[in-house]
Amino acid sequence: MNVRPLTRIVVPAPRAGLDMSAGYGWVQSAAIRAGDYVFVSGVVAVDPESGERLNGTLTSEAHRAFQNLQLVLAAAGSSLAGLVQVRAMIYDRIEYDALNRVYRQYVPEGPPARTVWNVRIMDAFKVQLDAVALT
Amino acid sequence: MASREVIVPKNDKLNVSRNFNLPHSPGIRAGDFIFLSGMLSTDPHTGERSQGTMAHETRQTLSNMRHLLESAGSSLERVVKINILVYDMLEFENMNRVYREFFPKDPPARTTCGVQLSAGMKIEIECIALAG
Repeated sequence: MNVRPLTRIVVPAPRAGLDMSAGYGWVQSAAIRAGDYVFVSGVVAVDPESGERLNGTLTSEAHRAFQNLQLVLAAAGSSLAGLVQVRAMIYDRIEYDALNRVYRQYVPEGPPARTVWNVRIMDAFKVQLDAVALT
Repeated sequence: MASREVIVPKNDKLNVSRNFNLPHSPGIRAGDFIFLSGMLSTDPHTGERSQGTMAHETRQTLSNMRHLLESAGSSLERVVKINILVYDMLEFENMNRVYREFFPKDPPARTTCGVQLSAGMKIEIECIALAG
């Protein structure tokens, strides 16, 4: 049973390169914990140590983004297995199958609810993962 | 089951759902959380869409979001997640600069993406916040 009102806890970036606020000036926390949930800022393919953009193929970016998401979730006391809802954003619908091939490797069992959006992503990234998970 | 309650802005002019006869509520309170519909820049005096620069639309939209959250007993400080939809990623910095004024400390988690918006608007913002 949660005590009301719920507190709002900032989850600091687990690695320097994942601090998009310090590295890129994006006004956002890596994630916010509230109640039983963790809300994660859009995750893209940056080097978790240096913050360098790792623009590549959709496949390479999706792997890096999932690994970064894993790091942020772990810092929040969660994991990929705790994912509830994901918005997977890709730059072009033609890559839908390429996304799925990587995607299923990271959430093999009982995958989260998901919507795939075809959008423009910052810095010409090809994929961005937007996630809500249970802590 | 936790309660589900429609929330509306105290300023009627900002109740876009009703004024534009759209099939959504300005927000829904569900248990400990408030979920807001996507908000566009609306003039709080006339209720009309308030188009302008990215800076202007960002400022107006976030001001209206603050009003709506405060109408429901919450606040910008209680926002946990924000989604920003912009018409062109080249305008990211113009959005980001104004955004910073509203969230000077411990900002919410945020995801930004570029999409085509209705009515030639430049930005749409939705959020999840903790209820009061």
